Amino acid sequence: MNLLDEGSVAIVEETDIVTVRQTVREAAGQIGLGVTDVTRVVTAASELARNVFKYGNGGSMTWKLLESEFAKGIELTFQDKGPGIPDIEQALQDGFSTGGGLGMGLPGAKKLMDEMSVDSSPQIGTRVVVRKWRSI
Amino acid sequence: MHRETITVIKVRGVLMVTMPADPDDATISALQEKTLEAMEEYEARGLILDLSRVDTLDSYFARTVTETGKMVNLMGGQTIIAGMRPAVAITATQLGLNLAFIRTALGVDQALDLMSEEHPV
Ligand SMILES: Nc1ncnc2c1ncn2[C@@H]1O[C@H](COP(=O)(O)OP(=O)(O)OP(=O)(O)O)[C@@H](O)[C@H]1O
Ligand SMILES: [Mg+2]
Repeated sequence: MNLLDEGSVAIVEETDIVTVRQTVREAAGQIGLGVTDVTRVVTAASELARNVFKYGNGGSMTWKLLESEFAKGIELTFQDKGPGIPDIEQALQDGFSTGGGLGMGLPGAKKLMDEMSVDSSPQIGTRVVVRKWRSI
Repeated sequence: MHRETITVIKVRGVLMVTMPADPDDATISALQEKTLEAMEEYEARGLILDLSRVDTLDSYFARTVTETGKMVNLMGGQTIIAGMRPAVAITATQLGLNLAFIRTALGVDQALDLMSEEHPV
């Protein structure tokens, strides 16, 4: 797996969610994803960035463009040092929210991306990694 | 600050709001407040939300849009969403957003026609 490019965005203020969307849109365009896939990735990023801001007391989003023999991909890592998610399985269910939201962010991001993993503990906070691939 | 302004105009007795391409949360909340104030002030028959420039509709944005629609209905008006891009519509559906109970139109022209059919001036 080759790393083509990478970068990161701090998520401190609410307006940083917009910066995340713009950064991801540009990065996803670089590996030649179509407009619908770019929209999927950007929408998932918007959900996850808002969670970092709203529940994780802020953090960061790191993006990586990857290339293998068969595919190009974008990987996004959302990291915060917040309180963590006590029950990840529950948080991934449609409609579960502790913040009066629609409870659609985490399950929605999973549906929009090809891969998603969630790691969380009160000590380290929460890390969500998502990936989208385009075969070449 | 990325904050963008939302303009509310009145056409044929109907309020028309064009959303910017990539609004931050504060701009999205301003949509609700401004629209409801304008509904009252102009005694409008309804609201057309032009989403043709919007390139990301996430759950926060969608929730504000549906809430605003419900509030406009409570005030006796009708809400039509116009011009949602195909990629945005596909993504919103896949995300699981339920916009089914809000009327939709391909574009602003069609939305205005729908509005006049149902609420003749
Ligand atoms: N980074 C995080 N840190 C701590 N808790 C989180 C984090 N992300 C999500 N959660 C928890 O998981 C729940 C579900 O998140 P999800 O994004 O699916 O829904 P929501 O944010 O509550 O609503 P929506 O995203 O639809 O507005 C949240 O209500 C919150 O309790
Ligand atoms: Mg969320």
